[in-house]
Amino acid sequence: MKLLEKTNRTYLVLSAITFLSAGAVIYFVLSFIIEDQMNEKQMSDLAGIVQNIKNNGIVPNYYPFVEVREVPGQADRPINATDTLIFDVTEREKVPFRQISSVVSIKGMKYLIIIRDALIEKSDFLLTIAIVVGALFILLLAALYIINRKLSLFIWRPFYKALDELKGFTYNDPALKFSTVSEIDEFVELNKTLENLTLKIISDYQSLKRFTEDASHEIQTPLAVIQSKLESLMQNPKLKKDQAEMISAAYTSALRISKLTQTLLLLTKIVNGQFPEKKVINLSELLEEKIELLRDFIDEKSLFVEKTISPECFLETNYFLADSMLMNLLGNAIKHCKTAGKICIYLNQNRLEISNSGDPLPVPSSKLFERFYKINKSSDSQGLGLSIVKEICNLNKWEIQYYYENELHKIIVSF
Amino acid sequence: MKILIIEDEKELLGTIKNYLTAEGFLCETACSYFEAEDSLSAFYYDIIILDLTLPGGNGLELIKLIKKRNIQAGLLIVSAKNSLEDKIKGLDMGADDYISKPFHLAELNSRIKSLARRRHYEGNNELVYNEIRINIDSNEVFVDERKIDLTRKEYNILVYFMVNRNKVITRESIAEHVWGDNISCVDNFDFIYSHIKNLRKKIEQKNGRNYLHNIYGIGYKFSDR
Repeated sequence: MKLLEKTNRTYLVLSAITFLSAGAVIYFVLSFIIEDQMNEKQMSDLAGIVQNIKNNGIVPNYYPFVEVREVPGQADRPINATDTLIFDVTEREKVPFRQISSVVSIKGMKYLIIIRDALIEKSDFLLTIAIVVGALFILLLAALYIINRKLSLFIWRPFYKALDELKGFTYNDPALKFSTVSEIDEFVELNKTLENLTLKIISDYQSLKRFTEDASHEIQTPLAVIQSKLESLMQNPKLKKDQAEMISAAYTSALRISKLTQTLLLLTKIVNGQFPEKKVINLSELLEEKIELLRDFIDEKSLFVEKTISPECFLETNYFLADSMLMNLLGNAIKHCKTAGKICIYLNQNRLEISNSGDPLPVPSSKLFERFYKINKSSDSQGLGLSIVKEICNLNKWEIQYYYENELHKIIVSF
Repeated sequence: MKILIIEDEKELLGTIKNYLTAEGFLCETACSYFEAEDSLSAFYYDIIILDLTLPGGNGLELIKLIKKRNIQAGLLIVSAKNSLEDKIKGLDMGADDYISKPFHLAELNSRIKSLARRRHYEGNNELVYNEIRINIDSNEVFVDERKIDLTRKEYNILVYFMVNRNKVITRESIAEHVWGDNISCVDNFDFIYSHIKNLRKKIEQKNGRNYLHNIYGIGYKFSDR
């Protein structure tokens, strides 16, 4: 929910409650004032009539407003106020009246004097108040809407602009410098904090990058020495078979460490997002190329390759990573395929499927993408191939899934 | 042919020097930025092998220097960082080739010979060993002047052997040279054997000698001894 929407809703609820209670208060106060005024008027009417009878002998009678009757023999009664309903000829219904009645003796005669006034009907009264209050409420909403529009246009604009700039920020950029200046202290402070934060992110990222590269350098250089010394040693024509075998074993192990460091460095670089350059790649072509490159390994194991590759499948991504993903997936399928088994390769614009025949996994499939996970612990493989594929998929926001069906291990990458 | 090897790791420097000297190159060495600067201003070299991480300065600065002084040597850069940026930057600045540490000596040798060929045998780019002749420009192979047809991979393997003749070459080195770095995703190198077998057969069919020798569990050697 947007901030403005949230404040608007709160405003709406609060002002609705305020207006309702204001309406109620207005109703009760007005009722009280009207009643009080009517009371005063009727009392003075009564006094006027009594005076008129006393002085002029005029007995007025205007039904239903003024009623004066002689009631001989009755005792004097003090003023008594009541509400009553009287049939109204024009409206053809009973309407509410307020009356005061009193029995007074004037010049030895007893008079019953009743004074009535039509009351405003309660429903009319309520309706009027509701209309007035409702109109005010709508007016307020309209004002609120206009004010908020203006606010979001002027006051919030630097905030949204800064947010957009922040969204576009990556750690390969120079430090973020917001282009807009706000008059509002909070926004100024926020922008300053964000600028410092990005500065920190960039420097952390740079030092991490330097660290992985330096670490790799420190490992690769001694390995280069070992490897070159062993290669020189191999050149000795007087080598005996057992010596050659020892050198060969040491050499192979040195190569394995070297490949392992390179692969770990690659993984770190992928996670760090150090492959930012993207371009449009013809994945169909690349896939065909890789299959051809691996043809020797396929033939060596007498594998049957069934491929359905739609031509011209394009993908915008990093070339090196796409290459690495295909090599790892294909290499993995070849490595784990049964001898004389089947490899199925399917590619269209939305997904890549590579499957190979083999026995079911002895462990849950979630382990498959873990680093250093190997089904055969004694195998020479690094157990990093599928982790790399997974990291590449994560980086590109592709989905990767594993299935086992019809004796086929199937890995699906959805772009 | 004179080579300057700029490398700060003394052990590695020594091995490279010995290997290349045995290949008939005249090698000089420098193990810091300043030594390299001195050598470059005093002498002429055909090929420079440059490690990018040097004490006293970045190797990329040396490339700038080489280009500024208009030194016409073939330039091969070596880096242990295996960082794509360094590679691209180096090649952009005018280096001729790039190799990452650790490397196979045979691969280094092959790159240097290729650089040397490009610089000195213009128009006559050939590799000859007894009855075998390879024309690098047209990718044609002749045994006793009779052409043989090789697959792309067999051709690459033969060139690699011819360049590294009389040296023991490991299977891993052949695999990386022919199939590329990415080949590490497969860890069985038996397939090389069938290519070697075919290559041997094709040469022997034209009455060529068998120069491809198996060396225990290590690899192969191309030699007439």
